[in-house]
Amino acid sequence: MSVLHEGPEPPRHHGPVRAPQSLAGGILLIALAALALWLTRDLDQGTLNAMGPAMLPRWLAIGVGLSGIALLVLSFMKDGDPLERWSLRGPVFVIGAIVAFALTIRPFSFGSFATPGLGLLFAGPLAIILGGYATNEARLRDLVLLALSLTPFCMVLFGDLLNLPIPVFPQALTGLFPADWSQKAVLRATAGIMAAAAVILFLTTRNRRPAPVDVADHSGRI
Amino acid sequence: MGDFFSNLSLGFGVALSLQNLGLAFLGCLVGTLIGVLPGVGPIATIAMLLPITFGLDPTGALIMLAGIYYGAQYGGSTTAILVNIPGEATSVVTALDGHQMARQGRAGVALGIAAIGSFFAGTVATLVIAALGAPLTKLALVFGPTEYFSLMVMGLVFAVVLARGSILRAVAMILVGVLLSTVGTDLETGEERMTFGLPFLADGIDFAVLAMGIFGIAEIMRNLDHTEHRDVVRQAIGRLLPNKDDFRQSYKPVIRGTLIGSILGILPGNGAVLGPFASYTLEKKLAKDPRRFGRGAIEGVAGPESANNAGAQTSFIPLLTLGIPPNAVMALMVGAMTIHGIIPGPQVMTKNPTLFWGMIASMWVGNLMLLVINLPLVGMWVRLLKVPYRLMFPAILMFCCIGIYSINSLPTDVMFIGLFGFVGYVLIKFGFEPAPLLLGFVLGKLMEENLRRALIISRGSLETFIERPISAGLLAVATILLVIALLPSIRKGRDEVFTE
Amino acid sequence: MKNVVMALAAVAGLAATGAQAQNYPTRPITMIVPFAAGGPTDVIARIVGDHMSRTLGQQIVVENVAGAGGTTGITRAAQSQPDGYTIMMGHMGTHGAAPALYPNLKYDPAKDFAPIGVAAGTPIVIVAKKDFPANDLKGFLEYLKTNGDKVNMAHAGVGSVSHSTGIFFNSVVKVKPTMVAYRGTGPALNDLMGNTVDFMTDQIVNVAPQIQGNNIKAFAIATPERSPVLPNVPTTKEAGLDGYEVSAWNAVFAPKGTPPDVVKKLNDALVKSLEDENTKKRLLDLGGVLPSATERTPEGLQKLVESEVARWTPVLKAAGATAE
Repeated sequence: MSVLHEGPEPPRHHGPVRAPQSLAGGILLIALAALALWLTRDLDQGTLNAMGPAMLPRWLAIGVGLSGIALLVLSFMKDGDPLERWSLRGPVFVIGAIVAFALTIRPFSFGSFATPGLGLLFAGPLAIILGGYATNEARLRDLVLLALSLTPFCMVLFGDLLNLPIPVFPQALTGLFPADWSQKAVLRATAGIMAAAAVILFLTTRNRRPAPVDVADHSGRI
Repeated sequence: MGDFFSNLSLGFGVALSLQNLGLAFLGCLVGTLIGVLPGVGPIATIAMLLPITFGLDPTGALIMLAGIYYGAQYGGSTTAILVNIPGEATSVVTALDGHQMARQGRAGVALGIAAIGSFFAGTVATLVIAALGAPLTKLALVFGPTEYFSLMVMGLVFAVVLARGSILRAVAMILVGVLLSTVGTDLETGEERMTFGLPFLADGIDFAVLAMGIFGIAEIMRNLDHTEHRDVVRQAIGRLLPNKDDFRQSYKPVIRGTLIGSILGILPGNGAVLGPFASYTLEKKLAKDPRRFGRGAIEGVAGPESANNAGAQTSFIPLLTLGIPPNAVMALMVGAMTIHGIIPGPQVMTKNPTLFWGMIASMWVGNLMLLVINLPLVGMWVRLLKVPYRLMFPAILMFCCIGIYSINSLPTDVMFIGLFGFVGYVLIKFGFEPAPLLLGFVLGKLMEENLRRALIISRGSLETFIERPISAGLLAVATILLVIALLPSIRKGRDEVFTE
Repeated sequence: MKNVVMALAAVAGLAATGAQAQNYPTRPITMIVPFAAGGPTDVIARIVGDHMSRTLGQQIVVENVAGAGGTTGITRAAQSQPDGYTIMMGHMGTHGAAPALYPNLKYDPAKDFAPIGVAAGTPIVIVAKKDFPANDLKGFLEYLKTNGDKVNMAHAGVGSVSHSTGIFFNSVVKVKPTMVAYRGTGPALNDLMGNTVDFMTDQIVNVAPQIQGNNIKAFAIATPERSPVLPNVPTTKEAGLDGYEVSAWNAVFAPKGTPPDVVKKLNDALVKSLEDENTKKRLLDLGGVLPSATERTPEGLQKLVESEVARWTPVLKAAGATAE
């Protein structure tokens, strides 16, 4: 990984562990192997003549485990890279955004837990704004602008032009529009309102900070 | 030979009609635009766009669908190069060096050489299909489970060679990849394996989900860690198109890639998937300085992209001449043909020559369209990279979510890209590469199924793999390759396990 | 050129959808097809759905939700709002074999649906490799009996039509060939043509071109009447095999609780589409069999589902075939 070379020379560690990254990698592999062996414990291995479902996974798990042990042993014998610094902010917000999208795009239930389906109208902005906070340079205004311009673009592209069966907005929304409007008309109107909101937001707040012109511009062409 | 020309001219007569030209153009354009969305590979794109061809006559519809296919495939390579998200198995390789080129400000060159290489490969593959399509079909039939297993073993050896870092880590990742491919309902017995009893795991892990997670999402997480590096792309955009030097470096890889891709594409068991990997391995072995690979070597884009496109075309052979779809994309084409009232099979060529030859000729037309559409687009894609990353990544994130959701309409698929993203992030942090894992995953399923099939048919005798000549040959090549791959580290001895 | 314009219009979404209707349907209807796009069920759904859209004045959007032998999609469809805006294309597997194959099935084919009507069936054909040492069904059955598990039978994976009908065949004929699983019909056919496996049973739409092209041989078709697509292939009864008549039927269902007038409208549209000459021709060209008058009614479909569950459960359970 090129990343590993971007830092200065790895500092030499004192103590028995000479390659912490390999140690961690080895432990990870062993854990993975153990998990796979445990999961396939009840399955039949079969014979060569009629291989059972467990034969290959089990041998693969053993292979993974052996690689892990080798890494582990080597980490005490040879010098290697240290562990990189971790930051939790990125993964937490990125995963948060993805999960938020998954939970709101359509009704989702898992056991007793259930969410209403809000469609792209809500799931899109949620993913953008929540995800945007994964970096500490996040600016709410820019993210809202991005959400307000990208979401209607996607709604029109997927829901209208391509006719994909992706939920666009909650069914309740149709009630807000005149009853004789078709689904498509409602979709276009909603997208129009959002785009207009984006323009208004852009114009009213532009003096405060240099505007990210190319965002709104390029989003329309992805 | 006379037949060859009369057939081709019949075909071009059909393909060059104003309507079909328009459809090929439209298909390529729409395919590119949809295929460029992260995670939306050719299969998803064709499935999405299938309905818009319903109003057309069969020939026109198939020409348009083929256009969509090429477009989507090229669009997938674009995403792989620009944001490191391979939309399908074959663009994993493109992502390796293509994305590194993009980070060095050479995105335009990478996209350009990919388009030009693909065009060349497409032209050759079209001629191959027209001239040799029918006789080559026989090759498809001699490949049984035994041969496929050996072919996949050879593929896994490619994966070892493909890896940049320590061989031990690469092997571990390949094994993990194959292990992941065994998750899901067992094909032979119907028993669930390693699914935690979760219904959405019963069909195994989707390639697009895994690839988007451990490549795309993990890449975003990693970039967020390295504030100082990630806007590298913004600084220098560089040239938009390849220059003379680039061509000199890439023309041989393009030719070799085309050959490899054309041959592997004919195999009905999705052999095309091996093309780019094989081409990359070959280029890396032939290169004077193999260490450049994985750091933005243009040969690592030119060869595999040509192999990819050549394979994409020749994989039409089993479909057109036998009616047997070699992979999921072709299965969709079968569906499209049936919807239009043409049941694909050996009779299509004789019963429906205008369709058959028209489609073959339109392959070349489609490739030309692709070049015409994409060279101007390169500038636009590259300019997209100028968007500040803090705004770029939330947009990518949302497109990933929409892309994955639109494939199966499953919210759990979306959640899994988050999970695999985190897994990929941890793997990178621990010094593992995701590419061998992905290759192991792709080949793993094919390998296990064919191994079990072969053993059932041979009634448990392992000798079947050496008794059958093709299989024995493939295994021999695999062994030689493995020895070549391991030799440097054996010779150098010491720290090879840890060096990159 | 007109077609280009039409495609452009479709791409640009200019194809206006009627919006005047005061009653159902006022917006597009989603038809869940529980298999990947391009398979026989998907093709039938799209052909029939195309004409139904015209009758109903609203587009029927096909949504492919594949997985677990079709049960993933059907489970989702069964749990959706019973307002007529989500319907599904069920088939022999999801509404016949599934209860035996999937013990944890989350729906009851006979109780959790409002049946609309059968769309089309695709008959099963018994096919073998070209070099198979038998030329008719009689010789074939004899060969099977004497050679036992030396014969290799291909199928397209547990839960597929070729798997269920293959097990059924083995139980009717009382043979135990070695089963070789493939992922889908394509690879299985390829190996059948390459002489790697010996025989299989599958839907006519998949095998007819290969039979016509003389790449494989067909012993019998498992319907009461010969198919116009394969006029030379005898029925199982003609060839001397009783008790093996099976076809992979596809039928439209709505979730339980869908209002009766909506069911009626959908049924009318379905029946109308099956009477349309063009739709009929497209289905017949596939080798499909149009449903009888009773099968076109909700009641007829309900009966069919009940009899199919009763037929598949013991056969599959006896063979020990479960997918969980």
